[in-house]
Amino acid sequence: MSAPTILAATATIPSEIYTRLSQAHIRVDDVLIAVEGDLDDLGRIEPIWLIVTESSVSSIPLSAEQPVSGPYSMESIEDFRIRNSVGSASLQVVLEGLPVDLVRFTNRHRERFQRVLTQMKRLREGTGFQPDLLQKQDPRFCDSCGLILPAVGSPCPRCVNQGAIFWRTFRLLSGYGSWAVALFALMLVGIAFDLLPPYLTRILVDDVLTSRDHTDWLPWLVLSLAGAAMLRSVVNIFVARLSSLIGTRITTDVRQQLFAKLEQMSIDYYDRMEVGRLMNRCIADVEALQGFVNQLAQGFLINILMIGSIGVMLFYLDAQLAMYVLIPVPFVVGGTVYFYKRIYPRYYKLSDTQSKLSSTINSTLSGIRLVKAFAQEAREAERFTKTNNDLRDSRRHVDMSVGTFSPIMAYVFGLGGLIIWFVGGQNVLSDRITLGTLMAFLGYLGMFYGPLSSLTQFSNWLTSFMTASQRVFEILDVDPGIHDNPDAKPMNRIEGEIEFSEVSFGYDPYNPVIHEVSFKINPGEMIGIVGRSGSGKSTLINLLCRFYDVQEGGVKIDGHDVRDIRRQDIRRHIGLVLQEPFLFRASITDNIAYGRPDAKLEDIINAAKAANAHDFIMRQPAGYDTILGEQGAGLSGGERQRVSIARALLCDPAILILDEATSSVDTESEQQIQDALAILCKNRTTIAIAHRLSTLRDSDRILVIDNGRLAEEGSHHELMDYEGIYHRLVRIQTQLTSLEL
Amino acid sequence: MTASIAEPISTQSLDAGPFSGVRVLRPETCKMFKGLHSLLHVQVADDEDGLGLYRAVHAVRAFPVSSPNEYIVLKYPDEIGIDQEVGLIMDISEFPAAAQELIHESLMAQYFEYSITRIYGVTWKFHLLFFDVETTQGRLEFQMRWQVDRAQDYGDHSKVLLDVSDNRYVIQDIRELPKADREKYLRYIYW
Repeated sequence: MSAPTILAATATIPSEIYTRLSQAHIRVDDVLIAVEGDLDDLGRIEPIWLIVTESSVSSIPLSAEQPVSGPYSMESIEDFRIRNSVGSASLQVVLEGLPVDLVRFTNRHRERFQRVLTQMKRLREGTGFQPDLLQKQDPRFCDSCGLILPAVGSPCPRCVNQGAIFWRTFRLLSGYGSWAVALFALMLVGIAFDLLPPYLTRILVDDVLTSRDHTDWLPWLVLSLAGAAMLRSVVNIFVARLSSLIGTRITTDVRQQLFAKLEQMSIDYYDRMEVGRLMNRCIADVEALQGFVNQLAQGFLINILMIGSIGVMLFYLDAQLAMYVLIPVPFVVGGTVYFYKRIYPRYYKLSDTQSKLSSTINSTLSGIRLVKAFAQEAREAERFTKTNNDLRDSRRHVDMSVGTFSPIMAYVFGLGGLIIWFVGGQNVLSDRITLGTLMAFLGYLGMFYGPLSSLTQFSNWLTSFMTASQRVFEILDVDPGIHDNPDAKPMNRIEGEIEFSEVSFGYDPYNPVIHEVSFKINPGEMIGIVGRSGSGKSTLINLLCRFYDVQEGGVKIDGHDVRDIRRQDIRRHIGLVLQEPFLFRASITDNIAYGRPDAKLEDIINAAKAANAHDFIMRQPAGYDTILGEQGAGLSGGERQRVSIARALLCDPAILILDEATSSVDTESEQQIQDALAILCKNRTTIAIAHRLSTLRDSDRILVIDNGRLAEEGSHHELMDYEGIYHRLVRIQTQLTSLEL
Repeated sequence: MTASIAEPISTQSLDAGPFSGVRVLRPETCKMFKGLHSLLHVQVADDEDGLGLYRAVHAVRAFPVSSPNEYIVLKYPDEIGIDQEVGLIMDISEFPAAAQELIHESLMAQYFEYSITRIYGVTWKFHLLFFDVETTQGRLEFQMRWQVDRAQDYGDHSKVLLDVSDNRYVIQDIRELPKADREKYLRYIYW
């Protein structure tokens, strides 16, 4: 027998467990899996080991005071399951129809026990033990350092070189290489013009004003000073224009990439992310990249170059005096470190509160009808006030910290200037240097402390820039979730056969909402799906459209697993009519032709006619050219739905899905929509989800989903005869209808 | 262990108000005991569903923060493992001591949270907060994503922090933390 697979904090099974194993008559050599849980029944942190052999399972506490549970023979176990409770979970065995806790564990071990559960089921069913899969790494964590990843498939922020973010942004300039070189050259020319005036001042003081040897130089020197200042201004104009040109192009490119990436993301990603926050990343965070270019051209890069150049001039003029300039340097370094450690988190807090404010406004304005309908304006205003105040406080904290830090640092640098006055003045009085040299020195010094002082803001800018750019790159780097298989087949034509085989799925993998569902739909069949809210009906549609991937089992279209078909082809052949039709802010024509932008106008009219939409469209003053407002504002619910049906009809899909297509419209509209749908469903596989069961009477078959399981299947009459869930639902609706009458 | 049973046994539904349709379990309407495989069993008299005896029952709080010992829902798994409701206990203290003990045991199996008593350190890295804390279960370190939804209100002055694995860490009253601990916490969890 091979060594057992041990999943625990230790590499071996503790000796106490061995002792208790033998007491329970379990042979050590028979152990296949030994897994450490960490909670006892009463919620105390206690190591408890789950021991699995080919023929039995048992749980053995490390403490001899606690009883062993089991061993339970595989033959006596009806099933294994994991039950999630609040903050922990339990692996259970089902004995005599009853779930019995075997081992309890905190949530950090959920992934581990999920893998164990799969293998225990395989052992019980005799389908083969897969020890290799037990050792699989949890994909949510970094393989190298164990840090939780921003999302499955994302790069590990600890293992990624932090400096890489900076250089990655820098590399964005590479697409504009010649412009960037021109910008850099202009910056150097500008610095040369900056260095000229103090040097000319030195000549003016020493050779013209003090010695009076060259009094005729006076007008030329003054003209030179004016010329240098003017040329500096001209260079500044070109630098500003060029940096804006590069910056705006980079941000436009990145925003384009970001939007393209967001379109690729799986629906699962949007379940986790707030739209308001994503908007903030697309707009505000990308804008930080523009700031990066501006800072390079007019901020920190030029300041660093300026400090270097002036340093050379200072040491050229008087090396001894120049040493005194370095006195404030330790304060600069200390101040920067302090700034980074203490003020950095406040910037993130500020950014986060800005996002929250954006989210709050977005959610309130998006749901403004609901807010007004429930007269909750005051409550929303209160919610906004709280977020707004949070933003005010965050901004105030940052501003106050920066406002205190900067003047203190400026004062320290000012003291450095006084030192130069004192030491340089003594040197002039002792004739060691000329007055002109001191004046030039002080001129350079004024230019030296300016950039140096602004460099104290470097950490301020760098941190806010790094935060924003990391958030942008995080989206660009994240795995879109659902991929096309490299060998995915193109499918230009689909017959419309659909098969679900033993499909299990959960939006949270630990909480499945679909359990081992199997059914087959023949091409051209009309299938109704019914069930209570939350029973899993729409989830089946999400899996068919491959908005999510199944976790177990498979979904096939025309005999091909949907994971082996290009997503583009799946969705091209599926027409979706939802309960809340989504219409874009565009003309009615564009909305109908959304899936077929090249459609002829007569095809659009035909589709609208078949969808019973033509008449009301023609009543609009601008007919098909009518521009709709946000989400189809300007049309009634029924009219919006008919436009969406026309849209589906125009695409001529092989598979049509109607997800509560008529549930939110009035009876008259419903009749018109039903007439339109009757045309739409002809000669294509149709799956209709509906709460109003009368709309499904004529379906070839009806699937009844209950608690994520396929509970009943058959025609209306068969299911009525069966007198199960469907019969009960029909009876309830009939009673309700008679009450309404 | 078997809970004492009060006689007579009857099932009571509240007819009025928002409780209409909810079956209220009172000491006189049901008995609790540990049955097969030491699982909690509940025997309900005059049971409209006709089951009478519910096996493998567990307790769930309806208001875990505001009323942890009141409005306790008892559930049992049906034949396909889906939880169904037995009924509602209005107040645990109405029940005999032995039954109370069984309910509390069941609640302890249903809820697991670390209770934070001190915060020794909070550091921010990689968009994560690294906590070093003292809890009622001992000193430990954990990481949580620095996101609003990972630190949720849990009563007026209480917060529950969810770590990267969804483990729960409750700060019962933030005002009662030592000042230095509170400042470390509020520097990051400011909402």
